[in-house]
Amino acid sequence: MLDTFEILTTSGVVLWSRTYAHVSPSVVNNFIADVFIEEKSSVVGAKDGASAAVNPPYKYDQHTLRWTFEKELGIIFVAVYRSLLHLSWIDKLVDHIKTIFVKLYGDQLKKPNTTIVECLKFDEYFDQQLHELEQTGGKPDRSEVRALEDDADLEIPGEKSPAPPSLIQRSRPHDTLDSSPVATPSASRPSTPGVNHLVVAKAGPVAKMSRRARKGHNTNSGLVSSGDEGSAKKSKAKAAKRGRKWDADGFADEDDDVQLDYSAPNAITSDSEAEAAGRLGAVEEVDASTWGSNTKGKFVLRDLGEEVHSILASADAKNSIEKFDSPAGLVGSSLSAISGLFRNVVGGKVLTKEDLDKAMKGMEEHLLKKNVAREAAVRLCEGVEKELIGVKTGNFESIDARIRKAMEASLTKMLTPTSSLDLLREIDSITAPPATSLRKARPYVMSIVGVNGVGKSTNLSKICFFLLQNKYKVLIAAGDTFRSGAVEQLAVHVRNLKELTAREGGKVELYQKGYGKDAATVAKDAVAFAAQEGFDVVLIDTAGRRHNDQRLMSSLEKFAKFAQPDKILMVGEALVGTDSVAQARNFNAAFGTGRSLDGFIISKCDTVGDMVGTLVSIVHATSVPVLFVGVGQHYSDLRNFSVKWGVEKLLSSN
Amino acid sequence: MAALDTLKAFFEASLKPSPVVFAIGFAFVLFFPVLLHILVTQKSTYTTLPSVLLVGPSGAGKTALLTLLERGPLSAPAGEKPSLTGPASPAPTHTSQAPAAVELAVSTDGTSSFRDDLDATGATAKRFLLIDTPGHAKLRRLALSHLSPAKPSTSPTSSYSATPKSRLKGLVFVLDAAALADGDALPATAAYLYDVLLALQKRASGAKGSKPPPAIPVLIAANKLDLFTALPAALVKSNLEAELGRIRKTRSRGLLDSGVGADDDVAGIEEGDDWLGEYGSDKFSFKQMLEFDIEVEVVGGSVLGDGPGADRWWKWIGQRA
Repeated sequence: MLDTFEILTTSGVVLWSRTYAHVSPSVVNNFIADVFIEEKSSVVGAKDGASAAVNPPYKYDQHTLRWTFEKELGIIFVAVYRSLLHLSWIDKLVDHIKTIFVKLYGDQLKKPNTTIVECLKFDEYFDQQLHELEQTGGKPDRSEVRALEDDADLEIPGEKSPAPPSLIQRSRPHDTLDSSPVATPSASRPSTPGVNHLVVAKAGPVAKMSRRARKGHNTNSGLVSSGDEGSAKKSKAKAAKRGRKWDADGFADEDDDVQLDYSAPNAITSDSEAEAAGRLGAVEEVDASTWGSNTKGKFVLRDLGEEVHSILASADAKNSIEKFDSPAGLVGSSLSAISGLFRNVVGGKVLTKEDLDKAMKGMEEHLLKKNVAREAAVRLCEGVEKELIGVKTGNFESIDARIRKAMEASLTKMLTPTSSLDLLREIDSITAPPATSLRKARPYVMSIVGVNGVGKSTNLSKICFFLLQNKYKVLIAAGDTFRSGAVEQLAVHVRNLKELTAREGGKVELYQKGYGKDAATVAKDAVAFAAQEGFDVVLIDTAGRRHNDQRLMSSLEKFAKFAQPDKILMVGEALVGTDSVAQARNFNAAFGTGRSLDGFIISKCDTVGDMVGTLVSIVHATSVPVLFVGVGQHYSDLRNFSVKWGVEKLLSSN
Repeated sequence: MAALDTLKAFFEASLKPSPVVFAIGFAFVLFFPVLLHILVTQKSTYTTLPSVLLVGPSGAGKTALLTLLERGPLSAPAGEKPSLTGPASPAPTHTSQAPAAVELAVSTDGTSSFRDDLDATGATAKRFLLIDTPGHAKLRRLALSHLSPAKPSTSPTSSYSATPKSRLKGLVFVLDAAALADGDALPATAAYLYDVLLALQKRASGAKGSKPPPAIPVLIAANKLDLFTALPAALVKSNLEAELGRIRKTRSRGLLDSGVGADDDVAGIEEGDDWLGEYGSDKFSFKQMLEFDIEVEVVGGSVLGDGPGADRWWKWIGQRA
């Protein structure tokens, strides 16, 4: 069953919600943070106003979320249900609710400076939709059943078909219900007398049929956008209704029955009621109850159903019209072209896909020139394009300027880290935890990984220099037990650093066990040694490895498990191009589940000028932030990464 | 010919020192400025309402506070409309992605409760905007952009314009006092507060010309005091001061930002430019911010539950707006 359904704005206010079972608010909060803010979902353009069937479901903590987003008004529609359940009609419900809600309250939502939307009445609309879809979605489409019914009738012509169907319906329901309670979901019984006929004919086939039909239905909803589907189904449903009435006409007393059956599902407003009614089983009893409640409210509800249908139908019609929208006449098109040109200069133009296409191509080219990997550039541009369609340009603002602005915002958002990256603060809190916390003081462990020759050891010693200047005691562990000269190289660095910082009070030692040993064990021993000797920070160097070599990469998992580093940093070259995406991805995934990279160091930034696209590529691939950039050959040439600087370089033209 | 004559006569009459002409002229001189004033002030109230900014980390209760204050008057007249939840209650909220502004009204002396419906009582009201900002780390630039005096991309020679787009009258930093009790939330909250205060400080100290920008007072709203684990306001203040001091120290020792020093145009950075409060002082306290005309006040309260409520915050906001 549906757990909760919420309609909320991008500013975080829940406009309307219906809760059936309590769901922790963190589920939806995480969903917003992951999908909308951090854009972790790899699907491009998920922010578009696409239907819920297209948007990938978000899974979190045993819950599945189906959602859709209305961009213009900034409203998100989310349905939450247990992942165990398979509810095929949820995406349709979300889409229908979106259409209805936007139609009914769109005007209120456009008002500035308020968050209040009066939508108390929306409860009824929601109930109506929910019941309708539960009935049609939980079971096969009526028309399909009808077709199958006919088959069934043909198969067993001799048994019961001679009697008029309505008579059968009258006399038989008790038996069939008793004999085959599983055949049809009980809640939907009163609404579909047509199905009842069949059930009467034979219980078995229906069960089989419905399963088959349901399967077909499911695959349908997975593939096709639900708008078309909805309209198709509606027309079928209408046909079915008409047929029923015609059937009933022969019998005067049946007339009432049919009508009541038709409206009954609308009258039942809550789940429990529906279930109870279904459980009663006997058609007479349901009839009686609907007779009893034959009040004004029911007609109101039925009107509601019609209103909802008309809203959905008009939305569908609009969609189909838009699809086949033919261009206006010659005069009209040329006029609009001229005014478009005018507005290009003056501003105040509503951007369309055609306007943006060319300019976005230019922006993509620009990003590619800045050494951004194609994958990342395409995704960035598509995101910006989606964001800009339908947006009005400002006064005297050209399209290019607007795109630039949007791209700047998009890049800034992407490169800004989610949490604070104050390294010294973190080291302090580990090595000297506050008295109130229960943690014990221990050395802070950092390790550095990367491909061969990107500057792991060099950057390690740069970080070491920075830490020494801040008067930490640092132990460098020579984890590269493979390459000849690696340990000696570190020894030289340590010697230099000792000389450089002797006056400032830092202390640095090298921990090495020679060549050929297991790197993970060396690292573990180094951490134990540091804890014993009272070092503040352990820096672990590792052997360079090719990111697509499974054998070499697999040892990283053991390394992470043994050394338990607080931070794993990956060094990436600014020089590398498209391959940076694969490098970052493979290294990020190499540490096993539950552990990933904590940051990047981009080395050799001084060699590429403003072509710093590698930054974007790797952050795009992993959503792991960039911590440092290397800007020179000296120990002091390490810088905090400033997002503003990066974005300026990326967008600068030369 | 006759038409020309009447025109001529009219001209002569209008230039003669007759009492009618005097009266008209006098009335014109008297009322024209008044009319102009009304016209201009009316326009300006629509374009730039004074505003109060809500900032703070994610999950602190900014949007909840916003909706509480907005929905306050709605639930007040219990007589006409049987309110569903009794006293004013905020709407349920989730993580914000976009800023939201809400127009609120407070009586001119700033004493009315947010539950009073000012339209009903007929009191003269000041209107102002309360701007909610997303607290997620990736979206904080939306909040901080309100505080930066001018666009950095514009030419550096142009001095700070005295009329910023929004008339920012105050800043409310909402934080979760219950979360501060355990270790991880305090550094994150303090880091954001540090950024906000530093932006305000730069705004004040970076202003050129004779006219300093209008001071923006800061209210630190310790939210969720209705919870058992929440720290009282005084403790929140001392914890924050200690943490801000620590952050200040580590930031000063940290690495330079990329780009600094590489370009020659930023060569003129002075030492202590990024130092919050009194430069070189050992311990940080909010009093040091007074040097930059930034008044910081810590007040406890709660949006939800039976705690102290939000009345004291509203009073602060009402007085500043």
